[in-house]
Amino acid sequence: MKVSLHWLRRFIDFDLTATELAEKLTMRGFESEVASDFDSLENLVVGDVLKAEKHPDADKLKLCSVSDGSETFSVVCGAPNVDAGQKIVFAKVGAVLPGDFKIGKAKIRGVESFGMICSERELGISEEHDGIMVLNESNKAGTPIKEVLGPLFDAIDIEVTPDKAFALSHRGIAREVATIVGSKLKTPINSVKLNPKSKDVVSIELDKKGGCTRYIAGTMKGVKVGPSPKWLAEYLKSVGQKSINNLVDISNFMLLEIGHPTHVFDLKKLTKPAIKVSWAKKGEKFDALDEETYELSTDHMVITDTKNTVALAGIIGGMDSSVTDSTTEVLIESAYFDPVVIRKGSKKLNLLSEASRRFERGTDPNAALEAFNMIVQLMQEVAGGTLESVITDECSMSLDNNSVDLSFEKLLKYAGQEIPSKDVESILKGLHIDAEKTKTGWNCSIPTFRTDLEVETDLIEEVFRCYGYDNIKSSFNYSSIMQYANDKESTISSLKHHLSSLGFHQSYNNSLEDIEELKLFGKDAVSIMNPLSERMNTLRTNLHSGLLKNLDFNYRNGSANTLIYEYGTIFEGKTDKLEDIAQKSSLSCLVHGDVFSKNVHFDSIPASFAFLKGVASNIFEDKRLGIKVKYSEQSHHYCDPYFSIIDGKKQVIGGLGVIKDSLLKQLGIAHKHEVVVLDIDPEIFTNYGSYSTKVEDIITFPNLQRDLNFKMDSSIQVGDVVKTMKSINQSILQNVIPVDIYQSKKDTSSKDVLFSLNFQSSKKTLEDNDVNSIIAEIINIVSKKFNAKLRDN
Amino acid sequence: MSLDKTIKGLKTSFSKELSKSKTSKDLENFRIKYLGRNGQLASLFEEFNKLPVSEKPRFGKELNILKNQLTEQYQNVLGNKSENSASSDVDFSLPGYNLPDGNIHPLEQITSEIKSIFQSIGFSVAYGPEIDDDYHNFEALNVPKHHPARDMQDTFFINPNAVLRTHTSNVQIHLMENQDPPLRYICCGRVFRNEAVSYKSFCLFNQVEGLVINESSSFAEMKGTLEYFVQEMFGKDTKMRFRPSYFPFTEPSAEVDIWNSKLNQWMEILGCGMVNPNVLYNVGYDNEKYQGFAFGMGVERIAMIKYGIKDIRLFYQNDKRFLEQF
Repeated sequence: MKVSLHWLRRFIDFDLTATELAEKLTMRGFESEVASDFDSLENLVVGDVLKAEKHPDADKLKLCSVSDGSETFSVVCGAPNVDAGQKIVFAKVGAVLPGDFKIGKAKIRGVESFGMICSERELGISEEHDGIMVLNESNKAGTPIKEVLGPLFDAIDIEVTPDKAFALSHRGIAREVATIVGSKLKTPINSVKLNPKSKDVVSIELDKKGGCTRYIAGTMKGVKVGPSPKWLAEYLKSVGQKSINNLVDISNFMLLEIGHPTHVFDLKKLTKPAIKVSWAKKGEKFDALDEETYELSTDHMVITDTKNTVALAGIIGGMDSSVTDSTTEVLIESAYFDPVVIRKGSKKLNLLSEASRRFERGTDPNAALEAFNMIVQLMQEVAGGTLESVITDECSMSLDNNSVDLSFEKLLKYAGQEIPSKDVESILKGLHIDAEKTKTGWNCSIPTFRTDLEVETDLIEEVFRCYGYDNIKSSFNYSSIMQYANDKESTISSLKHHLSSLGFHQSYNNSLEDIEELKLFGKDAVSIMNPLSERMNTLRTNLHSGLLKNLDFNYRNGSANTLIYEYGTIFEGKTDKLEDIAQKSSLSCLVHGDVFSKNVHFDSIPASFAFLKGVASNIFEDKRLGIKVKYSEQSHHYCDPYFSIIDGKKQVIGGLGVIKDSLLKQLGIAHKHEVVVLDIDPEIFTNYGSYSTKVEDIITFPNLQRDLNFKMDSSIQVGDVVKTMKSINQSILQNVIPVDIYQSKKDTSSKDVLFSLNFQSSKKTLEDNDVNSIIAEIINIVSKKFNAKLRDN
Repeated sequence: MSLDKTIKGLKTSFSKELSKSKTSKDLENFRIKYLGRNGQLASLFEEFNKLPVSEKPRFGKELNILKNQLTEQYQNVLGNKSENSASSDVDFSLPGYNLPDGNIHPLEQITSEIKSIFQSIGFSVAYGPEIDDDYHNFEALNVPKHHPARDMQDTFFINPNAVLRTHTSNVQIHLMENQDPPLRYICCGRVFRNEAVSYKSFCLFNQVEGLVINESSSFAEMKGTLEYFVQEMFGKDTKMRFRPSYFPFTEPSAEVDIWNSKLNQWMEILGCGMVNPNVLYNVGYDNEKYQGFAFGMGVERIAMIKYGIKDIRLFYQNDKRFLEQF
């Protein structure tokens, strides 16, 4: 909300620049930025345009001579309205305009230009940029601009939080400023007694179900539509609003002055001077002032003239009943609407107006009458009309102050320290809250404009805010605390560090993806009702799709070797019911290219299936987990092959596979080698406890190593041979490792595999005799089972 | 005795010459000169044979010691030489192995840092669902259905009653529903906002939120806790301020700014406040007896301030050239 210092001064005298005011309000909970602070603008003066001639080399530019009272400058200007004899805002070389726009010497189409003639937008006054801003002729060239424009146009932008409905006007902000500077609020419009000319009555009927609990109306005749007086137009301009005509301007002015929305109907366009507040019919069409037609629902409260809908209550007026240049008689509305009704109605149509913004936050019911009186007075003053009818005030709500207790005890307990009672009392007084001291605290009478103050903590907040958060001293006494700070994901954190030390990069990918792409991965995806874009309309069902995008991105940016992983949540299930959506933490790795590229020391080591299988055993065969891992080949939607990784309890704890080329093609993933993925179920790490952790004794007797070289059919899986060998003896045969595979080029039907067998006993030093019989048995069984032949070497 | 002198002289010249013998050829010549069959040591033994029997025992012992000493000295030098000569073929200027350089994502690093600061003062860490019902994300947190505060967080809906959480505060509600005070927790994870993607905003970000509930935790304690955090995170001399603000789930509420001396401006880093009694009521706590505070911060924002990152989207692009810098 733009707030003008000029306007604030209607209510309160203060001696603060825009920058200082913004800072003070920010520290009171009204986050403010300077919109324009002419006080801080240097090198800006009133300029006198002596000459304005066509630029020798450009049709749309003018070459001007501008005097700053003592010197004359040559300035190139593109505005169509610049002319000799004008007084203008001249930004000299060295000036810095709002938005950090520095003015320097420039050469424009071959002509040097020393400074700039400014538009309103360049000065931060309004959005006006079609031409330059022309000042009153009476201004003397050379006068600093801050003296000319500062008093009128110094302004700040305030972000009013949703709770502070009372601050959505200049009077509301002025009340806050009053508590800062400590001066008294002025009453710019003194209320006078209004005497209606006739005994006419506007009949008002409110809906019994509520929604509108106060409606004030009256009619005026003899109104003359015309331009607004200068003072009125200037106030509107000081907050960047255009003057339209006196009637519209008055309504807008009242809204920004005291924050209560009002509406003016053209009386002649109403069926009769009667108002009925009711609910819209389903599907009812309504032509609004903004030239749009809205389809209403039964949630919408409407104002009718008992026959036709003339306004969408609290949101926007109707086109057919609006004031025009020929209006002479008006009906003025000032009402109180229920915040929830207005909120629902405006949300449903996605139609937010200045009026609805205030009604949905809660307006002051007493301000309704105040606004009505003020608007009639202003009309009489500015548009020349007189009040015709009696003022009708239909009211079914309380207009009294609420009472809220604030206890000493609670205040102390909340602050953690004493706040002196006299400070509390002066703060409450400054906020127009009458506080009566009791034995236990204060009984506070809350003015009706403070709709946000309903319970004790609301008052505590006010006290803290005005006392100053900085004045509440901090306390820190954690040294005495002994508490076990638990984090179930600390084991996952170790796992991440483990992967990173193996050379993996950790990725963070978007959880939102494209449904069309996700379809290729199978599974029921959970979609978003109101997505930002088609590219991000569904939650990821797996981590692979993100990792593939990372591979593609880095590959295209010159980095083919990719070792990445991500830990994150994946989603699966039916969208309709929350219970049917599975949300699971997941961890996946993806590799492509080389782990080590070819170099002077050795050949490349590819980031292959075998590499990632090594990573898998490195992780899963962590002794602390005590898992016996098995790989079991499965069919998979987009991997071939794919192996489920299974623990001793036959639970799937991960998977390892090669992404199918068809998927890579469909997704257009740039690659040149196989892309291998490893999935790890992170739960096994968060649930260490469910796996047995036992330390094994270290065997101190020496080990004995024997090599066996078998010739076997090429199709035989070496892993099966190893498994068979291991099964023959489990007491002293500690390990079997295939150390070499030789495939002759001549005979591709068979291969030679060299196995290294490691024997060790926990009871004694092994002799040749101890192992010879086992070796013989191994040779015997392997030869038979795999039709393999022992080769002597 | 002249033999004594000879032994001494031999020792000296032996050491001197040995240290000068650099190449293997030098060493071989040296060996022949001193230790060879006709070398100087051998000639000493010849002289020994000429000695009278009475002197033989003394010199015999001495000569044997000498022989051992010299041989050992020579062997030592020879040993070193041979080790060196094997490696003298290696080009030490070659680069070392280019080991794969892994990393932990910057957001993870910042999250861990935040976690460990709070864990050091007794905060446990909790996690919760990213998709939750309207009640846990909004209503229980004192944000009723038709309240303007809903506009503060643009929301993604999964169905009319389920949302992608807009903050991790839903975890706080689950926590409080499942256990009684006292509580001291931080929650962390992803949260989602339906906002246009730009250099300064993304459709999701990571949050860390804290919650302390007991019979006495005050505004003063909240200030102390967050001052400790800011000093640990940004340095002991960090200038900070608490500025009044509004959140539906806390009252009084504040935002915390830290001073950025490079940009010469305050930068907002977190929001906080005393837990609204309505929230405590909603989870079934006695809100006359219990009170406490809550706070929340965006990990991306803190990472951007700490590392001087200007575009939030970089965190989710996973460009190796970016990741490798962490």
